[in-house]
Amino acid sequence: MKRTALYGEHVKLRARLIPFGGFDMPVQYESILKEHEAVRKRAGLFDLSHMGQFILEGDGVADWADRLTVNAVPTMKPWQARYNIFTNERGGAHDDVIFYRLENRWLLVVNAGNADKMWKHLNDNAGGSGVKLTSLHGRNSLIAIQGPSSVAMLRPHADFDLNALKYYFCTEGKVYGKDAIVARTGYTGEDGFELFVDGADAPEIWNKLLADNASSGLIPAGLGARDLLRLEAGMPLYGHELTEEITPLQAGLDWVVKLEKPEFLGKAALAAQKSADDYARIVGIVMDGRAPAREGYHVFLGEKRVGEIRSGSIGPSVGNKSIGTALLEKEAATPGTDVVVHIRGTAYGAKVVELPFYKRSYKIGAA
Amino acid sequence: MAQPEGLLYSKEHEWVKIDGDRATVGITDYAQDSLGDIVYVELPKVGKQVAQSAAVGVVESVKAVSDLFTPVGGEILEVNSALENDPALVNREPFEGGWMFKLKLDGDSQKAGLLSAADYKTFTKEG
Repeated sequence: MKRTALYGEHVKLRARLIPFGGFDMPVQYESILKEHEAVRKRAGLFDLSHMGQFILEGDGVADWADRLTVNAVPTMKPWQARYNIFTNERGGAHDDVIFYRLENRWLLVVNAGNADKMWKHLNDNAGGSGVKLTSLHGRNSLIAIQGPSSVAMLRPHADFDLNALKYYFCTEGKVYGKDAIVARTGYTGEDGFELFVDGADAPEIWNKLLADNASSGLIPAGLGARDLLRLEAGMPLYGHELTEEITPLQAGLDWVVKLEKPEFLGKAALAAQKSADDYARIVGIVMDGRAPAREGYHVFLGEKRVGEIRSGSIGPSVGNKSIGTALLEKEAATPGTDVVVHIRGTAYGAKVVELPFYKRSYKIGAA
Repeated sequence: MAQPEGLLYSKEHEWVKIDGDRATVGITDYAQDSLGDIVYVELPKVGKQVAQSAAVGVVESVKAVSDLFTPVGGEILEVNSALENDPALVNREPFEGGWMFKLKLDGDSQKAGLLSAADYKTFTKEG
């Protein structure tokens, strides 16, 4: 199992480590619920160095990437970040990613579990394009500070005006005197920043951020809290709401799929799926009681099985209700529909709802 | 980790307090700590006959679903209804407010295989 540059810090913090995406990663430090609460009310600090970081260079990057993904790449402005999905020929999701347009190059961040697959996919498709690919996977670190207090916590230690950074934009600067790409992006539903830094600098930045903001309530947060935060915020997790078989349209990500683009891998399949509009789709589920809905549990409409749970937990930000996502046949996917979830042989009532479960109550950006 | 004296412990990390032909069962401090934040507890029905070591319920944390075993057999007399609305009681007070169920023991030969506090402490350190 590989280790991130922050492995030693996790051990010192007595984190519970689990294998994830090829790395030993902290699933929790003290408590998933406490870490979740810190991010919603103050801020949490995450090590996301397991995620794949690739640098794309060359004049043709935007047009090349545009033909492999569903969202628009050439319309991205310098320093803009954009969520996107690489698709296969059937329109299924090969990976969901974020493109960051830097000054003369692009940073592509892919899921840890898909990093090897994506590195091959990019190289297989790079021939003749003039695009140069460099992998920083496992070498660079990614530290995320997420939560409403994150701007106040990070601002004094950046050599640029952090609050002028707009949501889904990035910049190059220094944090604690160390070179960093700083992006106002995240996966929690809160304001926050992601810091792409050299692995050699990561422990110092991590420890200083924690020490300088301990009194304001910054705590390290693990992948358990991250999964809960993203579920409440209605964000897909690859392998659950998006797979090689589950398309972006099925995941409800129609806003990401630009069918007006001239051509991209999987476009024909997605266009056909969109016009037929008969596909199973990802919906939100709220259970009547407190029993958690877990991945793989079967969902019924009356006597008919109409799908299965894809993610589930209790939602501390939504009154501790038992919430989840399900992939359901169209006939059962309308918000308000009463369905039944089978848990260990017992039928439990549940309702189909719109995503997300949780929305932040403040605006992100310059105050 | 706490492991109070006077209780008996199973290798599945339940504790049992035996008082004559009555017993109270819960999960240990070690178990609640390993599971993490507990968000749901499913307990057996009152009146049900359960055999020693049988799976009688479920304890769920944010990430994991675990079976709840009974370290002793008998008839379920009472379950801890406070856990319905406050499952985190198990994390806060595993040996007190976080008890799971009470039962009427089948016989008195059930202590075999259960561990003393000292032996359980050794067991969790080895495990």
